[in-house]
Amino acid sequence: MSTATVTAEEIHPSLWRASQLARGRGRVVETGYPVLSAELPGGGWPVGALIDLMVQQAGVGELRLLRPALSGSGNRPVAFVQPPHTPDGLGLSYIGLPIEQVLRVKAQKTADALWSAEQILRAGSCGALIFWAQYAQASSLRRLHLAAQSSETLFVMVRPLAAVQDSSPALLRLALRPSADGLTVDIVKRRGPARAEPLSIPLQPTPVLLSRHARLSRRPLAEVAARGVPTEVVI
Amino acid sequence: MVITDGTARAAGVRLGMKRGGVLTLSPETEMHERDAAKEAAAQREVGVALMRFSPEVALLDEATVVVEVGASLRLFGGLLALCREAKAVLGALGLTARISAAPTGQGGWLLAKFGNRRVLKLASLEQRLAALPMMAVPEVRPFGDWLSGLGCETIADIRRLPRAGLQRRCGEHLLDSLDRAFGTAPELFDWLELPPTFSARIEMPDRLEDADGAVFGAHRLIVQLCGWLCAKQLAVTAIRLLLEHERGRDAIEPTSIDIALGEPTWKEEHLVRLLKERLHRIELAAPVIALRLDALKVESAAPASDTLFPEPGGSKEDHARLLELLVARLGEDNVLRPAPTADHRPEVANRWVPVTLKSKQQALPLGLPRPTWMLDGPVRLLMRQHRPFYGSPLRMVSPAERIEAGWFDGELVTRDYFVAQGEDQSCYWIYRERVSSRDAEEEQRWFLHGLFG
Repeated sequence: MSTATVTAEEIHPSLWRASQLARGRGRVVETGYPVLSAELPGGGWPVGALIDLMVQQAGVGELRLLRPALSGSGNRPVAFVQPPHTPDGLGLSYIGLPIEQVLRVKAQKTADALWSAEQILRAGSCGALIFWAQYAQASSLRRLHLAAQSSETLFVMVRPLAAVQDSSPALLRLALRPSADGLTVDIVKRRGPARAEPLSIPLQPTPVLLSRHARLSRRPLAEVAARGVPTEVVI
Repeated sequence: MVITDGTARAAGVRLGMKRGGVLTLSPETEMHERDAAKEAAAQREVGVALMRFSPEVALLDEATVVVEVGASLRLFGGLLALCREAKAVLGALGLTARISAAPTGQGGWLLAKFGNRRVLKLASLEQRLAALPMMAVPEVRPFGDWLSGLGCETIADIRRLPRAGLQRRCGEHLLDSLDRAFGTAPELFDWLELPPTFSARIEMPDRLEDADGAVFGAHRLIVQLCGWLCAKQLAVTAIRLLLEHERGRDAIEPTSIDIALGEPTWKEEHLVRLLKERLHRIELAAPVIALRLDALKVESAAPASDTLFPEPGGSKEDHARLLELLVARLGEDNVLRPAPTADHRPEVANRWVPVTLKSKQQALPLGLPRPTWMLDGPVRLLMRQHRPFYGSPLRMVSPAERIEAGWFDGELVTRDYFVAQGEDQSCYWIYRERVSSRDAEEEQRWFLHGLFG
C-alpha cells in the first residue's frame, strides 16, 4: 500500500505515529542528562508548556534534576513559587544554581500562588518558573498552561505523586522516585509511545559523602560516624 | 432642564422645561442642580488627561476641548486609532464625548457639536461646515432672528451674504469666527498650562465602605496623572493615594497608600494594576468620601529602547514591573531573594531578604555540603533501637560535621550534622544535639533539619 510508505511527518510536521516520539516544533532546553533527553520529544524540556514533576515528597532530587536546565537559562531569573520548605541559599549554590538569579515567592493562599505564577508567565521575564502545588484544579492547570504557551519560560509544576492519577494538560509528566545514586524517572505522559520501564538517572552532587568503598566495608555506619571517620574516606 | 437621560425622555421630560413641569409629568424624576464649578473642573480633568496625545490642549466654551494632534497622528497609528484611544481615556474618566477632527480648531469645534465627524482636507471641511445650521456659531446667535428673517438657515447661507454689509451690521467677530473655522484666518488658542507638581482630588458620589470601590476613582486620577506626565515628559517613581474620610467632629486622618516604584513609569495600565492590588488588600477604618493622588517623586522619562531585536522574554523593566506587581499583592515579605550570611549556624546563614532591599553579597564559603531545603524548625526524630527513625530507620552516609556557634549572641547551638539515608534511598540532613557530660545519661536527641532536593 502506498499509504504505508508515506511517513506521518511528511504530511504535516506536527503529526507523528504513536510508535515514534513527536518531533518537537517548539524550543527545548537541554536536560543535561543524555539518558533522559533521548526519551523526550525534541530532546529536552519543552519551553513554554506545562511540565509536571510528581514527587513522593520534597527533597528527592527534583532541583538537582532541573539544575542543568536552570543554569542554562542564561542570566534570566528563576522563580520559585510557593516552595514547600525554605530553600537554602548555600544549598542552592552547592548544587550549582546561581543564587543571585533566584526569586522566591511565598503565597498564603492557593489563589495568590496561582495568580503569581500566571503573572510571572505573562511577564515572561523569568527564564524558568517552578511552582509547587499540593492540589490544583484542572481548570487552573489549563489556565497556567495557556499562559505558559505565550511565554519563553520553562514552566515546571512540582506536585505530589498522587496527582499521577489525575488528568493534566501538561505536555510532559514525569514521576520521580529516589534511588541509590539519584532518581528513578517514570515517564507518565509524553508525546510519543508509552514507556513502561523507568529511567535511572544519577544525580550530582550526591549528598552521600561516604565513598562507595567505605560503604562496602559493611561496618555499622552509625558507629563509624560516631567514632569519627578518617578524612581519607571522605570524597 | 438642560440635559435628560433616556428614561426621562421616555417619561416625556423635554429640554427647557421648568422644575414644576417635570415634577407634574413624572414625580420620581431625580434632578440635580447644574454646578458650573464642577463642570469646569471636569473639563480641566479631560484637558489634562488628553495631554497624553499632544501638549497643545485648549479648553473652549460649551464644554469643548480642542487638542492639536497634527504632529501626533503617526505616533498613535492614525486618526481613527487616536480617536479610539481618546474615547477610552474619556471612558476611564467616566465621560462620553463626541469626537471630531478637522484641519482647523474652530472647524473641529463646530463639527463636534453635531456628532463624530473626522475630516482631513480643508475642502471637505468646507463642504461639511456649510451644511451645518447657522445657530451653531455662537457669534451668530444674537442676530438669529434678523438672519432667519433674511432667509438664512445654514452657515453656507451666511457665507453667501455680502461680507462688507455683514461686517457693518454684525461686527467683525462673526466674520472672524467663520474665517477661522474655514481656515482663511489664523487661529490663536490659550493652551492649557500645567502646574509644576501634580495633585488631583475627586469627591466620591457616595460614601464608600469598600476599598475595592475606590478603584474606579483611582483610575480617573491615574488617567490625569498620565496625561500630566506625558506633557511634562516625566516618569513617576513614587505616588501616594490618600483616601479621605469623614470630616467635621469625628474627623479621621486620611488613609494613605504609598507606592514606590522600582522603575520610573508613565504607563497608565501598570499604575492602575498596582493600585488595584493595594486597594484590594487594605481594610478601611471608615467610609471614604474623597480620593487624592499626589506624584511624590518624578524624574525625566527615558526614551524607549531602540534595540532592533528585542531581548527574548522581556526587558529588565518588564521584570521590575513584575516584581512591583507581586510585591503590591503579596507584600514585601513574600517576594524574596537569597542573601546568605557568613555564619556557621545553618538557620542564620540561610537568610532571605525582600527583593526590593538592596544589599551587598557577602563572600561565602564554597563547597559546603548543604541541603537544598531547610525545614522552618528542626523536627525531633523518633528513636528505634538507638537509631533515628523517619519513616524508616536512618543510616548515616556521611561523616559528622560539627557546628558549634552562637555563644556570642545567646543562641548557642552545639550540633553534629549527618547525612542520613532512609530505606527508600531518600537523603535527610539530620543532627544530633550534643549535650554536656552532665546530661549524658539521657538518650541522644536527633533532629531532622533539611532535605536534599
